[in-house]
Amino acid sequence: MQNAATILAPAIEGFLPGEWDVDLILKTDNLWKVYRSGKLEVSALRGVNFEVLPGEFVAVMGPSGCGKSSLLYVIGGLAQATRGHVLVDGNDMMALSDAARTKLRRHKVGFVFQRFNLLPTLDAYGNIAIAQHIHGNGFDPHRFEVVTSMLKLTDRLHHKPSELSGGEQQRVAIARAIINEPKILLADEPTGNLDTKNSEIVLGMLRQLNRDLGQTIVMITHNPEAAAYAGRVVHMRDGVIVDGVPED
Amino acid sequence: MIGEMILRNVFHRPVRTAISVIAVGVEVMLVILVVGLTSGLLHETAKRVEGVGADLMLQPPSASVFMAFSGAPMPIKIREKLEEMKYVRAVAPVLLQFNASGGLDIVYGIEQETFKAVSGGFVFHEGGELSAPNDILVDDWYAKAKQVKVGQTLRMLDNDFHVAGIVEHGKGARLFVPIQTLQELSGARDKASVFFIKLTRPEHTAAVADELRKVFPRYEIRPLKDFLSLMTSSNLPGLETFINSMIALAVSIGFLVIFLSMYTIIIERTREIGVLKSLGASKGFIVRALLSETAVICGIGIVLGIGMTFGMRAVLTRVFPTLTILVTVDWVLRATLIAVVGGLVGASYPAWLASRKDPIEALSYE
Ligand SMILES: Nc1ncnc2c1ncn2[C@@H]1O[C@H](COP(=O)(O)OP(=O)(O)OP(=O)(O)O)[C@@H](O)[C@H]1O
Ligand SMILES: [Mg+2]
Repeated sequence: MQNAATILAPAIEGFLPGEWDVDLILKTDNLWKVYRSGKLEVSALRGVNFEVLPGEFVAVMGPSGCGKSSLLYVIGGLAQATRGHVLVDGNDMMALSDAARTKLRRHKVGFVFQRFNLLPTLDAYGNIAIAQHIHGNGFDPHRFEVVTSMLKLTDRLHHKPSELSGGEQQRVAIARAIINEPKILLADEPTGNLDTKNSEIVLGMLRQLNRDLGQTIVMITHNPEAAAYAGRVVHMRDGVIVDGVPED
Repeated sequence: MIGEMILRNVFHRPVRTAISVIAVGVEVMLVILVVGLTSGLLHETAKRVEGVGADLMLQPPSASVFMAFSGAPMPIKIREKLEEMKYVRAVAPVLLQFNASGGLDIVYGIEQETFKAVSGGFVFHEGGELSAPNDILVDDWYAKAKQVKVGQTLRMLDNDFHVAGIVEHGKGARLFVPIQTLQELSGARDKASVFFIKLTRPEHTAAVADELRKVFPRYEIRPLKDFLSLMTSSNLPGLETFINSMIALAVSIGFLVIFLSMYTIIIERTREIGVLKSLGASKGFIVRALLSETAVICGIGIVLGIGMTFGMRAVLTRVFPTLTILVTVDWVLRATLIAVVGGLVGASYPAWLASRKDPIEALSYE
């Protein structure tokens, strides 16, 4: 157990010299996530050590139930870790209150899910714009234009999610996730619900976002072909990262 | 954009929204109508009693301002004592009787001459004065409402009355019969419920009232000028309770429907709430969004409710022309406030639940 000062002041210069690289956009240190339901305990993460540099596109692979989604949720602050540390852009998630984690997520993290999770009552435009409003800096037409044209959504903006194809919906979801220029984009099997053609389009766009805009991306996938779009692939098994060990 | 989301959500499930809106509308209408009916009734009764034209009235001990609820009648002999008093010009004994057949009406048993002396006489629309024991006078509103014609027979208090005349409304009651007849019918021989006293000059009212208090220490002595202000629901505890329970009932309807509607809304939108949280929406944002949605529903409901109030008033006064429904700005505003507060309180627990949802569970909700 570390003392309180180190947990509360992770960004202070000289803090744990050599151990936390200030250049890292993301670092987890011996990260544990234990789900408790009644007497039952499931350890989804069992000491994950994971680092991402700014501008990286990392794919996380691993068998079902190995803890990939749990890792993403903890990184994005949607769930609280049980033990260990998560540093997102220098901020230790473990030291933050729920409200502060929400704020950090609002300003630094973008999420994309397997199920596109668009708000059904709003059109594509509204789904993207609402993220800007929640972010609080108001509508930024320039950023909106850059993002929507890169994702080739310009002529689909006034359609409801129910009027869009899966690929289009996922592109709207990506636009929504990156509209506020998050430090890191977390995608949980973004092509899991798409056919091959749409998967390729979406993956191509993610790669373009990474290359052209320098967007840092962590993407979970089951599919080696999808993982091939990433610059680096890490593997998980039983709640830990087992780098170098190939997938079953 | 937030506004657009809220509006779209409001109209996303039109039937549910319509039910909530109607519930709020009924709530608002009930509040305004119940208050309007009771205060209309009180106001109208008070105006009619004032319209008798007396300066003072004397009632038996502990009688209510609502004369229909007066206690045991007084011996009519009291009149003689009153007439002897200084400044008293005329004294009209009146016996009151409730007639509950076909509505609630008060019947005045009057002596034609003394009542005329105090009130200045009736204005006849049709027919003429009471001349036989079974004669009855009805006022124009009553005649119109019940379609009563001069010369017809009116069954009332187990007696067949002959309609002798139709008089201008505003002289205490809508129905007048000779006092002896009413005394016999109600077994109150030589009794009166109230004495209306006309003075030589109205300025003497206070002096005569003081004198009366000495002569009739426990009797109720009221200047008629104050009558309107005395006729408030707070002077009748039962009425106050009735109004309050009706308002409570109305508020419960609005509250429960909004509560239930918001409760189903947050279950239905579990995933969306998870999505908003994944976008970094705070608890406050989610509570605000849901309360704004409730406020929109309440707003539409209030407008509808006010419209329904006037519609209902038009229907009621057409069906019951003797009814007075006082719709005051004051109570429209109060009903609005009650509906808004009730709705927001009803929505606040569901909104709080929504804000506390675990985003991961919410996102995996089917
Ligand atoms: N809310 C929860 N309560 C209890 N156990 C959970 C919960 N969420 C996940 N788990 C368990 O934690 C483990 C890791 O789950 P997780 O969803 O992170 O796996 P995953 O690698 O994303 O799997 P998949 O590839 O199927 O999406 C699993 O054993 C799962 O059953
Ligand atoms: Mg998963």
